[in-house]
Amino acid sequence: MRRSAVGLWLAFVVACAAVALRTDYSADLAAFLPRSPTPAQQILVDELREGVVSRIILVGLEGAEPARLAALSRALAARLAQDPRFAYVANGADDGFEADLDFLHRHRYLLSPAVAPGHFDAPNLHAALERQLGLLDSNAGMLVGRWIENDPTGETLRLLEALGREGGPRKRDGVWFSADGRRALLVAQTRAAGFDIDAQEAAQAALRAAFGAAQAGGATLLMTGPGMFAVQSRESIKRDATRFSLLATVLVSLLMLAVYRRPRILGLMLLPVATGALAGVAAVSLGFGAVHGVTLGFGATLIGEAVDYAMYVFTNTPEGGTPRQTLARIWPTLRLGMLTSVCGFAALLFSGFPGLAQLGLFSIAGLVAAAAMTRWVLPQITPGGTTVRSATWLGPMLQKAVAGAGRLRLPLAAVVAASCAGIAWQGGQPWDDELSSLSPAPLADQQLDAQMRRDLGAPDVGPLIVVREATEQAALESAERIGAALDALRREQGLDSYDSPALLLPSAATQRQRQQAIPAPGALRASLAAAARGTPFRVEALQPFLDEAGAARSASPVTRADLEGTALALKVDALLAHRHGEWFAMLPLKGRIDAEALRATLRGIAGERAVLLEIKKETDALYRGYRTRATTFAVAGVAAIALLLAFSLRSPARVWDVLAPLAAAVVVTVALLLVLQAKLNLFHLVGLLLVVGVGSNYALFFERGSEPEDRADASRIYTSVFLCNLSTVIGFGVLALAATPVLRAIGGTVALGALLSLVFAAILVPRRAA
Amino acid sequence: MRRRLTEAVAWLLAAAIACPALAAEGAGAWGVEQLMAELGKVKRSQARFTERKYLKVLKAPLLSSGTLTYTAPDKLEKRTLKPRPEVLLVEGGQVVVEMDAGARRTLRMADHPVLQAFVESIRSTLGGDARTLERYYKVSLEGDRSAWQLYLAPRGRDMARVISQIRIGGGNGRIELIEVQETRGDRSVMKVTEDGP
Repeated sequence: MRRSAVGLWLAFVVACAAVALRTDYSADLAAFLPRSPTPAQQILVDELREGVVSRIILVGLEGAEPARLAALSRALAARLAQDPRFAYVANGADDGFEADLDFLHRHRYLLSPAVAPGHFDAPNLHAALERQLGLLDSNAGMLVGRWIENDPTGETLRLLEALGREGGPRKRDGVWFSADGRRALLVAQTRAAGFDIDAQEAAQAALRAAFGAAQAGGATLLMTGPGMFAVQSRESIKRDATRFSLLATVLVSLLMLAVYRRPRILGLMLLPVATGALAGVAAVSLGFGAVHGVTLGFGATLIGEAVDYAMYVFTNTPEGGTPRQTLARIWPTLRLGMLTSVCGFAALLFSGFPGLAQLGLFSIAGLVAAAAMTRWVLPQITPGGTTVRSATWLGPMLQKAVAGAGRLRLPLAAVVAASCAGIAWQGGQPWDDELSSLSPAPLADQQLDAQMRRDLGAPDVGPLIVVREATEQAALESAERIGAALDALRREQGLDSYDSPALLLPSAATQRQRQQAIPAPGALRASLAAAARGTPFRVEALQPFLDEAGAARSASPVTRADLEGTALALKVDALLAHRHGEWFAMLPLKGRIDAEALRATLRGIAGERAVLLEIKKETDALYRGYRTRATTFAVAGVAAIALLLAFSLRSPARVWDVLAPLAAAVVVTVALLLVLQAKLNLFHLVGLLLVVGVGSNYALFFERGSEPEDRADASRIYTSVFLCNLSTVIGFGVLALAATPVLRAIGGTVALGALLSLVFAAILVPRRAA
Repeated sequence: MRRRLTEAVAWLLAAAIACPALAAEGAGAWGVEQLMAELGKVKRSQARFTERKYLKVLKAPLLSSGTLTYTAPDKLEKRTLKPRPEVLLVEGGQVVVEMDAGARRTLRMADHPVLQAFVESIRSTLGGDARTLERYYKVSLEGDRSAWQLYLAPRGRDMARVISQIRIGGGNGRIELIEVQETRGDRSVMKVTEDGP
């Protein structure tokens, strides 16, 4: 038996290590975003992962004179334009505009929506000439004059107007600047998708190198954007994972050395921790295929918890006793404590967040393995004659404190009442409903990002129509049909404007129709001659118009390739995506819409292939849905714990003894978090659930300690509970320092809640002993 | 669209140089510096203008007329009365265009380098800042104090794409004529008559 337990354990450790060594480690931030239940939301998530939006890096230059910053901006843009890692760089300088203008002018008769049958008839042409004459006479004369000879119907102007180059960031010395003029701004688009963190990291390094090579003087470089967040988060997760696991190990080890003063005991206590950690990694690896960096960071908490089991055993072993004898006594309590913790973590498994599910599985596997190791292997491998002399002053002191703690019941009631009142006063809405509260990026970075977006005049995310088709042409044709419906809405309702890939890249069919609307050369010449009658125009000077309109009739249709080298290509790429073998056309809307009516219209045009996404609404609704779901599972987790306690303790009074301090701890923790954080998010909710799961251990042991076999026994129980609590608070507490929000929120909540659980248990539990 | 419009706007702004300037006293050498000093002394002036645009596509020139007002240091107003009312106002870093339909557009000059080149050169001319003028144009002067011709050739590539030369003519501290030669071959001539001191 003895051999077989140790042998089994060794085999288990070797197997786990083998799995752990072959494990992939990931840092995909999407793991901590809710899974998307609908195809429409999937489009949204894809867009965030690999769309143009995900490839944008916003660059700020500051810390020098504006003229110096402007020169730096130009130098940086010039360098990045040469770099194959970047598809596009813009700093507001007008260099790129000529290329855009040239594209629009060259293809005006295929691009202009005005080109329709009758457009070049004599009456319409005459009206166009009169209009041009009016413009020539105005302050806009030079603009019109530039194209009057080959574009007397003003198609180029019409296209420019439709593009709407109004607004945009402020400029200084010809390049974009922030409103306060202290920061030059650039926008760079990487070729690699935002989720390709390695490529993003390389692009950012290239950007830094280009900045360095541009001889920045005293200026500093700022970067933000989704790719930036992804890289930084991966870095901070990596850092957090190793740093905090190490910190927790060192602190817990120091604590144990201080109390037990025996390295051998320390070594024995750490064995279940190591076993648990290996089991956790192996379980996640087998269950999820890869282990997330955040899960490893969560390892710190496992250290704090898994060490508890050995600590209970050693501390409760009286002088001359053996761990085996102790286990015989306390195993039922230990097991129950372990199971309540498992109940808490099990709720995470069903939370709907892949990342949280990993944390749940990791902790469950780790705790079960650590507890089993403590139960069946530790007594076998503890050398005979190993005695534990824990700090003898600690027990009596704690006993005294606990004996006196009962008097604090009234003040505790007052604190709980005040907390309840505080929570109620908060307005009953303690939840942060912004999805951004779950963003892995630190708040300061999010604020910088928002500031730079404001400075660049990036519009708020409005409603978006997405239509999905099998081919590029079909997608463009659908976009055109939807655009026609939107034009009608624009006239009738509050819709201000919309964008569509078909505005710059009409479908081949539409381009053919426009070609057919251009009269044959002879007819056009006659029509122009008739139109010019009664105007000061010289028909012979308009020959370029006749030539170019004639050429447009037989030109090959404009394709995406024709846009190469223009800033307009960026726009088309953002609105027309080829993904999962299908083509997606996106039409962003500005202004008021009647969502229901629009959805009905879209159904009529493209059936289920077109969807209206109200992005902000959609994501926030998504998040609220997940919070509701997570709340359900948290309540289920607490209910499972209560049932487990009822089943094991078989006495409503005893269940109450255990649960009352936990309930009080949760209430006070929520109140404190609201004071410290203002709003709570999903991760805090998870933390609260774990307070119940983890905190119940202390209440259980206190409950045991309240009916001691002798005074020394009680003293040892209090000591063990105190130390275990301390190690747990260390394990979760160090995570409160983490940069990764999920770790920080859960760590801080559980550390606070666990500490309160212990204190409240001390106050509430031992009343029958008194 | 806006940018090209503003180039046109700027081109017409060149006309504001036509604001008559008071004659400066004193003799001595005659050159760009002396001319600038003379023009720079004017704090406020008002004038009427008539403008002819000669376009290749038109059989006859386009005619327009109105008033011009300059207030030191940085305010210019061109008010077209015929053939249709239109107001162009430059103040500080902004250009405001008001069409006769009441439509109003405000442009930031910093967004439009060509427009800025225009406006800064006008201001530096009216403010007597020869150095700034030299930054945007190759400047040459012909004639004497009583009858001079100032030639401005754009230095900037963008500007040179639109305008090949600006000729400002005047005498005795007054601007009487502005001719803008466009790169494409079109031309405009603005005659300016001061309303009196």
